[in-house]
Amino acid sequence: MARLGSRFLGRNSRQGNWWAPLILIVVTIALLIATTADFATPQNASNLLAQAMPLIIVAIGQMIVIVLAGMDLSVGSVMSLTTAILALDGAPMVLMPLVFVAAVVIGLINGVAIVKLNVHPIIATLSMQFIVLGIAQLLRPVAGGSVPDIVVTMVTGHVLGVPAPVLWAVVVIGVAWKILHGSRFGLHMFAIGGGVASGQTDAAHNFGLSEQRNIILAYVLSALFAAFAGIFVAGRIGSGDPGVGSQFALDSITAVAIGGTQLSGGVGGLHGTVLGAVLMALLANGMNLANLSAFLQGAIKGGILLIVVALQSRKKMGL
Amino acid sequence: MQPIVSLRHVTKRFGPTLAVDNVSIDIAPGRVHALMGENGAGKSTLMKILAGVHRPDEGEIRINGILVAFSNPRQALEAGVSTVFQELSLLPNLTIAENMFLAKEITGKFGLLNRAEMDRLTRDALAELGMTIDPGTLVSELTIAERQFVEIAHGIRADAQLFILDEPTAALNAADVEILNTQIKKLTGAGKAIIYISHRMDEIFRICDDVTVMKDGKHVATTSLSELSPEGLIALMVGRELSDLFPPRSGEFGAVRLACEGLELSPGSALIEFELRAGEILGLAGLEGQGQQEIARSFVGQHSSAAGRIVIGGQAFGLPLPRSGGVRLMQRLRIGFVPEDRKEEGLMLGMSIGENIGMSLHAAKPGYRLVSQLRQLVATTMQDLNVKAQSAAMPVGALSGGNQQKVLLGRYLAADMDILIIEEPTRGVDIGAKSEIYKILRQLANEGKALLVLSRETVELIGLCDRLLVVHDRKIVREIVGEEATEHAILDAALNT
Repeated sequence: MARLGSRFLGRNSRQGNWWAPLILIVVTIALLIATTADFATPQNASNLLAQAMPLIIVAIGQMIVIVLAGMDLSVGSVMSLTTAILALDGAPMVLMPLVFVAAVVIGLINGVAIVKLNVHPIIATLSMQFIVLGIAQLLRPVAGGSVPDIVVTMVTGHVLGVPAPVLWAVVVIGVAWKILHGSRFGLHMFAIGGGVASGQTDAAHNFGLSEQRNIILAYVLSALFAAFAGIFVAGRIGSGDPGVGSQFALDSITAVAIGGTQLSGGVGGLHGTVLGAVLMALLANGMNLANLSAFLQGAIKGGILLIVVALQSRKKMGL
Repeated sequence: MQPIVSLRHVTKRFGPTLAVDNVSIDIAPGRVHALMGENGAGKSTLMKILAGVHRPDEGEIRINGILVAFSNPRQALEAGVSTVFQELSLLPNLTIAENMFLAKEITGKFGLLNRAEMDRLTRDALAELGMTIDPGTLVSELTIAERQFVEIAHGIRADAQLFILDEPTAALNAADVEILNTQIKKLTGAGKAIIYISHRMDEIFRICDDVTVMKDGKHVATTSLSELSPEGLIALMVGRELSDLFPPRSGEFGAVRLACEGLELSPGSALIEFELRAGEILGLAGLEGQGQQEIARSFVGQHSSAAGRIVIGGQAFGLPLPRSGGVRLMQRLRIGFVPEDRKEEGLMLGMSIGENIGMSLHAAKPGYRLVSQLRQLVATTMQDLNVKAQSAAMPVGALSGGNQQKVLLGRYLAADMDILIIEEPTRGVDIGAKSEIYKILRQLANEGKALLVLSRETVELIGLCDRLLVVHDRKIVREIVGEEATEHAILDAALNT
């Protein structure tokens, strides 16, 4: 706790500035409770979480590559492809593994293009975004079909009276926490990203870490998280939709950045990213309840991103 | 007694330069071995080979009699070589414990990190060095001294047999130096060997047992320090041949072009005062990083000195100059600044020779206007400097180092500057081009320009300059007339202060 306290007093932090979205979340919730009668209902809370989950999941994967000073623009297309695959004719026992195999292949290609062929992460994953979107549209040119019942149940059902999204949130965040902040991979990820951000490009090598293997693994994880987010979306809409992921690449980067993760690498945290994603879902939910125009909503989202990131003093960020 | 480390016929080339030339040394356990030599003698390269940063082109390294070859510093550490470099290699965004165990983490169930155990072991290792700092502190929050101790603790934890300390006291205050000395005694008492690089003579004689002297990449001597006096040690370090690369001095100076008054590089440091006359080449000599560069860069607003002023042609300017306006202000006053790193700071490698030469003329124009009719000027400049290139349209990046340096000089020649401040005039340049550049610089002086030159190569300064100021610890410790200067005198002035 003492360590946490010192962070608030402006000392360096590897987690970045995650308390800014936290404060905004508290303020937004307070405003919504005060102004909107429909907000503080269990039904709306459950809805809100279900809406937030895909973004939370995909943002966690996005954060992994961003900590490594990369970026993954293909995650939205991976989500679309996932819904398209799940809406194919076939047994769930075949379709589900297929989704994850596709994600691993996409992640591998992204990673290999970046570390072996020296393509810039933005270009590599932008290309992959077009390729994957094209495949998704080939499989399902327009929204339709239906996904296996089990997928719908997984996402919308209840276990012992607890809504499935709540359980998934606990599981996903728990697993991600262990990967990012409790595993060797997570530590190596911060080490490599920190080396890049502080200009010591040889640092990881000097410590005997394999930079290439870790970066490839990061893009595979990012694609896997995106596939999982896609399953979640497919369960909610019940069908395949090649357009469903289109917003998620930029939204996930927005959530990660609002959560205090530095795009230069080496600084960031899961809590910040989850808070960033929750804040975005909360704002969307609140602005819908307040009947704000969709166009204005976009402008407000952009403004908040700019202000929150401007508040982050990079000198204080552990580098 | 079997040596801990023995190097045999180690050779390392960087392009055409032989950085380490057939060096063989034995390092005995329980002793502190000093490594001495002038700037560029090959000490750092040799240590980087031993630390696994560079791989030798030839020769072999044995540790406790076993042949080793490192592909990265981690392997060197595992084989028992721990290094504390001047440029530190810890990751700033990780904690002390994470740095200490990076790539060799302690894991528990499911391969998850056991942070408590790593923190505990780190705390123990730090406590051995008398440090009570929290192992969960980020390295970015540590002072340089603390980071050095963390690196030493790293080596102790890895059970290193040899500790390489590269100028460890450069950033330490007196109290920390004492702690370091105690630690060194403790390590040698436990049978570890230490290689100690330092330029502080008193330190060498107080701490070290043996000394190896290097010169021009070659091994000169290895001997016990008890058999050597400070003068004898300096005599071993110097003695390079002064070749006939250098044009004769004219010895005729004009009016004072630039006067430096009461310059204080950092708050509380000694006052620096000197004058630079027309027709004179003034050199700033001394060991690397003693403040020569800060002095030169103070004049162009690239170093924020604490106080002082410069007088140029009767006009006085208070220091520090604004960083934003410095170089351009000086350009208006007809002062050219030739930075040390021509690739990063000097030239636009992707642009043509003509554009690079014309740059300062363009810069002198107001707004976005450019100089027209440059072609003739560029051609003349290239001819004067004997730049070997097919045409002025060739990109500078495609030229050899010597020709690049000439283009950089040509920029200020074309702009007809009165005063030139030149860092490392011949860095990474072959011997033929060196000689040409010396002639060019002398010629400029003979035309009445004033030159301030700094260089790591003492021989170059001795041959080139009319007058030398030896800088040590941010003050001028001696002034030597060029004709009377010797390497010995300069080293003596720099070391015995």
